[in-house]
Amino acid sequence: MSSIIEIRNGSFAYGDKSVFENITLTISRGEILCLFGPNGCGKTTLLDNILGYHKLQSGSILIEGENISCLNKAEIAKRIAYVPQVHDKSFPFKVMDIVVMGRTPHIGSISSPSSKDYSIADEAIEAVGIKHLKHRIYTTLSGGETQLVILARAIAQDTSIIIMDEPTSHLDFRHELILLELITELVRTKKISIIMSTHSPNHAFYFENAGVPAKIALMHNKNIMTSGLPNEIISEKNMERIFNITSKVFKNNLPGEILNFIMPLKTIKK
Amino acid sequence: MNSKPCLKNNDSKKILNLPGVTKKTLLVIFLVTVPIVVIFISLFMGRYPISPAETLRTLYQGITSGTNQPGNVNMDIIWQIRLPRAILGGMAGAALAASGTALQGLFRNPLVSSGMLGVSAGAGFGAALGIIFFKGTVMIYILAFFFGVTAVFFSYTIGRIYNSTPAIMLVLGGVIVSSIFSALLSLVKYLANPYEELPSIVFWLMGSLASASYRDIAISSVPVFAGITGLYLMRWKINVLSMGEREASSMGINVNLDRIIIVFCATLATAGAVSVCGIIGWVGLVVPHMGRIITGSDNRILLPASISLGACFLIIVDNIGRATTGTEIPLSIITAIIGGPFFVYLLKKYKGGNW
Repeated sequence: MSSIIEIRNGSFAYGDKSVFENITLTISRGEILCLFGPNGCGKTTLLDNILGYHKLQSGSILIEGENISCLNKAEIAKRIAYVPQVHDKSFPFKVMDIVVMGRTPHIGSISSPSSKDYSIADEAIEAVGIKHLKHRIYTTLSGGETQLVILARAIAQDTSIIIMDEPTSHLDFRHELILLELITELVRTKKISIIMSTHSPNHAFYFENAGVPAKIALMHNKNIMTSGLPNEIISEKNMERIFNITSKVFKNNLPGEILNFIMPLKTIKK
Repeated sequence: MNSKPCLKNNDSKKILNLPGVTKKTLLVIFLVTVPIVVIFISLFMGRYPISPAETLRTLYQGITSGTNQPGNVNMDIIWQIRLPRAILGGMAGAALAASGTALQGLFRNPLVSSGMLGVSAGAGFGAALGIIFFKGTVMIYILAFFFGVTAVFFSYTIGRIYNSTPAIMLVLGGVIVSSIFSALLSLVKYLANPYEELPSIVFWLMGSLASASYRDIAISSVPVFAGITGLYLMRWKINVLSMGEREASSMGINVNLDRIIIVFCATLATAGAVSVCGIIGWVGLVVPHMGRIITGSDNRILLPASISLGACFLIIVDNIGRATTGTEIPLSIITAIIGGPFFVYLLKKYKGGNW
């Protein structure tokens, strides 16, 4: 598999405060990478660097073989779309208005979306199953519905990579599953690569169980402690090292169905 | 004023919604026609009575055989007083409303207007200097414009202390710079001759179209049209920018550059209007909200609608100011006294539904 994103010895600091150092990481086409680690370990900052929102202090990030520092905003946006943890609503736009904004990098700098852009946005709305919300004012939607609108916007952006920053952290049980199913579908049918930060190792298990190429990277102490297949990386030992907790991994390799998951059990007090 | 045929508080079936050629053409015609009608109405309003028929005839005569007809009082009143006044009012209203709409979208904040970034305070100080040192009106325009733009430049520089210029820092910079220029303005007022200069400064600060002339229109039209055109071209990007910096950036917007362009255009338009008409509060803050209630939040429709609405609003306010009482009431007084309750009425009627 060819690598679509390659981070080489990336380091970043806010002023004097180092956030991560010498990170090396690759993601292949049609693969999901779950970025996992404690609060404040720098997941969001790393994603910001891949999005071109921040610039690495040293090292490089290659997107489809091109150095990100040589690409302008629109060129990056044609390759990478973004789904935030929670979208901060401002004005009462209609759902369609929001989704079609994903077309921005593909249209001229002083023009507006064309009817073709609208039909692409329509397809994206259909793909996430929110056709019934198309004409609604998006400020009246629930958190789960809003996140689907934002995902549709990312799909309409028509990129080979989508970056998601804890996309399910504010969603209810059902909407979390809807989002995971949609991500699986995107990777399976469109060969999109996904990087998502998450606080649930079971998300990585979910993708692996579903049979799509999935990796998990454990971020700890300003670095990627280890990365690889979820069933190798998500272990009781690693959870203890990073979070100081005891946990239990359940592996169910049934014929025709894999169903692995992890259950946190107890914090270890020192 | 801008009475629309059907304004239902209904999400999906608003009249100005779907992009379509005929609908778009109708909308453009509507947005252009309404201010023209309002300008025409303001030609026969005033203390000197001229009937609508008479107004039409005078307009026609002016076009066909020139406006320079000694002894024809109607000709002078309509062509030299009321028409330039209405046109200047329309331009100023459009400039303030367009700037307010763009800045509210850019800063994702419904309480922002161009005054927020220090234009008004800077222009007020510049005009006061002009009144004291130069007396001549052109210098007042130039200094007001210069200090209006300078104030925004300082606000922006202060905002940049934080190296990525978050929107809130810019607004904070505006607050700081505004208060400094207000203090400087107070100083000038304190030193001004209380019999001649001080009243001029005070009147200027309340805004007026009373001395409107074609020269004023010519002077302010350059920055006003340049600014409004710039904002109009940015209308789609303003939509995307209102998603927030990080998301706008992820959709390919060069946030810092586009923010500079929008702030610059809004400043240009506002300073162009304010330097000629004096400080006019409230229009830039409230007209965008009226627009939002009527058309929704999409700046592709909202911005042109605000331009049209702002023009109508200020012309009407000026008509009220000059025609209702024996003396002229300065603009800012009426914009607030009329605009405030009208805004409350709109909020109550639509319960913030489309807003």
